[in-house]
Amino acid sequence: MKNSLLYTFVVLIILTILSATISHLHLSKIGVAIIVISALIKFLLVGFQFLELKAAHRFWQVLFVIYSTLIGTVFIVLL
Amino acid sequence: MSENQNKNIAYPPGGVLMWIIIYLELATFGMAMAALAYYGSLDRVNYHNDSLMLNKLLGTINTVFLLSGGFFAALGVQEFKKNHFDKSSKYLFWSIITGIGFLLLKLLEYQQKIEGGLDMSYSPFYMNYWLLTGFHWIHVLVGVVILFFIRNTIVKKQEGASLEDIEAGVAFWHMCDLIWLLLFPLLYFLF
Repeated sequence: MKNSLLYTFVVLIILTILSATISHLHLSKIGVAIIVISALIKFLLVGFQFLELKAAHRFWQVLFVIYSTLIGTVFIVLL
Repeated sequence: MSENQNKNIAYPPGGVLMWIIIYLELATFGMAMAALAYYGSLDRVNYHNDSLMLNKLLGTINTVFLLSGGFFAALGVQEFKKNHFDKSSKYLFWSIITGIGFLLLKLLEYQQKIEGGLDMSYSPFYMNYWLLTGFHWIHVLVGVVILFFIRNTIVKKQEGASLEDIEAGVAFWHMCDLIWLLLFPLLYFLF
């Protein structure tokens, strides 16, 4: 359990560094998509692992996934 | 709270009331961020130029602060469940420290922006920047205060402290993480 939190934390840091690095390149639509998807993965990891949504009722999990999908779609379509 | 109880729709980790607050906050910030993305898409050049004046390094370090705080807070809850109260309070202490680190670094960034004349009236982008990050800053401040009280309760009461209260307080802290994880790339990277 402690290890899974540690692995999650390491992935979160790697994704943060990846986003920061990609942002220094010329951002095409693909660059935007990578940064948004990376943000969504981080969002879901914090929700499911740190906030323990993985142990919650499916209703709360589905609501969380719907929210992240919606906001991610808005970002990718508009930007 | 047992795992079976958490699987009940009325008992998400942290309690149903906290989750209603979390979704309301996510919805509010989400609508504001969607509006920012929409107006940014209508005026790409100016939003892009304004965004370039943000300090990406400070933003990235602040993200690491918040993620570290979330990690320590999650460990704190886990140790509390095992009745390891000393370890739990130690992890929550580090969570508070990283939260304070975020708040101070953000203040430094605000100072740089004000000195550079990039206040709320500078442009629509900066109006959104100040409003969104300012409200988020207040949430983090409240989160740090909550963590402080939670930690104090664990230190004083140990097994007398309520797991539900601790999970609720830590859930508020994670909510600050969640908002920042969307706000940070939007403001610093995507325009």
